[in-house]
Amino acid sequence: MTSFSRLRRLLPTGLVLAGLLAGGAAGATATAPSPARPAADPAPVAMRRIPAGVYVPLLRTPKDPAQVHVASYLLDERPVTNAEFLAFVTAQPHWQRSMVSRLFADSSYLENWAGDREPGVQAPLNSPVVRVSWFAARAYARWVSKRLPSTAEWELAAGAGYTRPDGRNDEQLNHDLYAWLARPVPDIQPAVARGRPNFYGVHDLHGLVWEWVDDFNSAMVTGESRGDSGLERDLFCGAGSVGAKDTTDFAAFMRLALRSSLKANNTTTALGFRCAKDPTP
Amino acid sequence: MITRLAPLFLLTASFALGAGAAAQPTAAAACPHCQETTAPAAKTGAAFSKESIYQLDARFTDDSGHAFTLGELRGRPVVLTMFFASCGYACPLQVTDMQALRAQLPAGVRERTTFVLVSFDVVHDTSAVLAQYRAQRSLDGQWTLLHGTDDAVRELAALLGVKYKQEADGMFSHSNVLTLLNPQGEIVHQRIGLKGGLDEAAAALAAAAR
Repeated sequence: MTSFSRLRRLLPTGLVLAGLLAGGAAGATATAPSPARPAADPAPVAMRRIPAGVYVPLLRTPKDPAQVHVASYLLDERPVTNAEFLAFVTAQPHWQRSMVSRLFADSSYLENWAGDREPGVQAPLNSPVVRVSWFAARAYARWVSKRLPSTAEWELAAGAGYTRPDGRNDEQLNHDLYAWLARPVPDIQPAVARGRPNFYGVHDLHGLVWEWVDDFNSAMVTGESRGDSGLERDLFCGAGSVGAKDTTDFAAFMRLALRSSLKANNTTTALGFRCAKDPTP
Repeated sequence: MITRLAPLFLLTASFALGAGAAAQPTAAAACPHCQETTAPAAKTGAAFSKESIYQLDARFTDDSGHAFTLGELRGRPVVLTMFFASCGYACPLQVTDMQALRAQLPAGVRERTTFVLVSFDVVHDTSAVLAQYRAQRSLDGQWTLLHGTDDAVRELAALLGVKYKQEADGMFSHSNVLTLLNPQGEIVHQRIGLKGGLDEAAAALAAAAR
């Protein structure tokens, strides 16, 4: 049985997949994080230029474009850390854990933090911030005058291998990726940017945490189609069987399933984000 | 691998969705980088309830070209859906159902209710296009037709649990969701899909409007 057909069987149970994805992420290293220290002003994260390219959507209906042209853009070289998010909630107290509206972040928002303005030992300052909602991620991005990457942008950057822009046949990358998927989520996330950078110099697109994208709510595989499987049938039985770009790209199916199962106020143990930006002309 | 691991992952599948009590949000702090008040939550000076979607600080424009924030709907029951003017199938049905819902409302509620259409199509649905749509569908002064920036539309859709995607032909795939708000802007009912449920919706709105 191919991984595609396995996934096909799993997809209608959106929650299982949501759990699969929330639980499937693990750190690249097993080293114990250093104890939290008082927050200093975090050094600004470096951004890497991702050249223009073509993203081929994983699944498409007959109406979807076969290719999405992605303009060149800048992407943070690593996910946003707890230290950086601490600076944000300090400046914008309505995003603190006890203050935030449930409309914008569910009750497990920053649950691993010790307090409103204290990440604590479960959330080392240099580790990626997790348990953040799409609204919170977006608000952070705006606060630093950036934005979240689109699905097409994120996938284009993440499609790179260690040594070339097209990572599909990068055996080492695939090995590392699937090793990560198979590991349980660590209680404490390891530090960012420990993993080997990809061709564009970007760390942690695979192997650390899942990441929000700006248009997560354009993924319509499950969601309302759980009640009415029409769309799903269109995707998987009709167009899907010919429309799936690469049925061996199991990790990409998982990302798609995660996006389609999330609500904008959801937070999970291994879902963080990084920011993007248009290049200055 | 997947089959083997799936049961383990089931345990982690519990997204917490419940409402929680928490303090009122304070006013949004000014952004040190861009000197703007940002973030969807907590408009300065507006004491919307914790569950009010009017906390969303998103800017829209109505079909007469005036700037519009959702908070202006406060104080009235609201029936809201997202649509686009060139939609040939689902959106006209939604509008027809909103008209039918209006007819079903008790008289005292009907006059106070505002019917809101917010467009997905940030490019084509200008105020002029929406004004034309209003005329075509004979929508009176109780209807508010809005378009907005990509940010505003995406955040409102996310808040309402509406998924959408523009297709290659320029049309939009989208969830069909009719959302009912009480006078505080809190979601009291959603009709998902296109068929039926109007009696239930009318009852929910009437109860919320009291």
